[in-house]
Amino acid sequence: MTAEISIRNVSMQYPDPDGGIKHVLSDISYDVTEHHFVSIVGPSGVGKTTLLRLLTGLARPTAGEIQVQGQRISGPPTGLAVVLQDYTRSLMPWLTIEKNIALPLKKQKLGKNETRERIESSLQEVGLTGTGKQYPWQMSGGMQQRASIARALAVRPDILVMDEPFASVDAQTRFDLEDLVLKVRADFGITTLMVTHDIDEAVYLSDEIVVLHGRPAVVRDVVVVDIPFPRSQIETRNDPKFADLRTHVYAMVRGLE
Amino acid sequence: MRAGRRLLNILIGAWLPVLLIYLWWTASAGSTNPYFPPLSEIWTRFQELWVFDQVPIHVVPSLQNFAMGYAIAVVVGVGVGALLGASRSTYRYVEPVVDFARSIPAVATVPVFIAIFGLETSMRVAAIAFGATWPILLATIQGIRSTDATLTDTATVFRLTSTQVLWRVRMPAAMPIIFSGLQLGLQIAFVVTIASEFLGAGFGIGAFTQIATDSFLILDAWTGVILMGLLGYLINIIFDIVERLSLRWYYGQKKLA
Repeated sequence: MTAEISIRNVSMQYPDPDGGIKHVLSDISYDVTEHHFVSIVGPSGVGKTTLLRLLTGLARPTAGEIQVQGQRISGPPTGLAVVLQDYTRSLMPWLTIEKNIALPLKKQKLGKNETRERIESSLQEVGLTGTGKQYPWQMSGGMQQRASIARALAVRPDILVMDEPFASVDAQTRFDLEDLVLKVRADFGITTLMVTHDIDEAVYLSDEIVVLHGRPAVVRDVVVVDIPFPRSQIETRNDPKFADLRTHVYAMVRGLE
Repeated sequence: MRAGRRLLNILIGAWLPVLLIYLWWTASAGSTNPYFPPLSEIWTRFQELWVFDQVPIHVVPSLQNFAMGYAIAVVVGVGVGALLGASRSTYRYVEPVVDFARSIPAVATVPVFIAIFGLETSMRVAAIAFGATWPILLATIQGIRSTDATLTDTATVFRLTSTQVLWRVRMPAAMPIIFSGLQLGLQIAFVVTIASEFLGAGFGIGAFTQIATDSFLILDAWTGVILMGLLGYLINIIFDIVERLSLRWYYGQKKLA
């Protein structure tokens, strides 16, 4: 198994408003295995989002490097797609759902038929067939987040990066979306990195959980979730292993272990 | 149901103008004051002149200047504004100039343009364009600069180039703000159209009204004033329709929020 993403000795500092320097991340190293689902958890403000900005190429680390498929990245890498928490500000409100999905495809210079096929199949994958002509704001939050996932899938990514993807939807929708992500993962085997503050969700979805802790943040632990797939909301969450892992991760996030 | 509601809205909007016209009509009936002729006489004269005998001579040239000057202002204002808004450092250098130029009352620039261009049509078009450009430029800069970072980040991660992000994301996102500048520019353009004809023009609504006043043709002057009012009103209505159609997504979103 090869490393799809390699985070090597990454540190990040910002000049803060009072003229000092804010150390956010300190010497982070971690390899994401191909086809794995990895969650990054940690207390709020620990620098999860900063790490995500580095992984997506939106920012550059002050020290260390990030490699994707063996290449050091200096900007958004090819084959990477994102799903962000705030779907209302991530889908373009002036474009219909299908045009939102088509926007990143412009880059790929696909033919008309291929574009259409990508839109239809990704909408079908997330259970939104027939909604392509609607505007995002005409849909519920859960549907908008499904549309964001469809947009990400349409570029046929090798890597999917999600930033608190289900934090803004209600509990029931959240379970549905979690299962959707498991299905997508089973269907395509996309290497997935998810930032979340929800420990249950991290355990339920992941192969591995990276726990960040401290100021500046370091990798506190990497927890392997050895619960077999397929997982289900009822059985998996009742698995004693689930409870153990959940407790362990929770204690580490809180700095109790 | 919808048609009935629309009719009701028209009636609600119309009662005050109708009342005012009625009051003017009755109060001015039989007036012998040469400066305030009866509205009935103004109306008769209005029809003689403007339905549609003098329209090609006076209305058409005014509207041509107006359209030409405004079109230049829109292209320059939006085009230059987009580029300035996209580049933070450039804007810092240009800001004082823009602030100064937009503070000059547009009408006051007419003599300067006469000095440069003489009493030509080009002078009037230039004055209209100059006056209308600044609010459009400023609104465009503000709109582009205030684009939600989540939208541009999303597009950047999906590997749109910065030019694509500017025209496909920041520009449409800025449209509601740009339109407020376009409306302000429209009003300035109309004022300057009329004012630029007060000096040295033989044709145009402004020229017609000015000459009529100088020649004590008070009745004619009144028709000119009413015509300006009607044209200004009509131009605003057309603008509103264009705005509503262009920003359907924006108003649709607002209605649901």
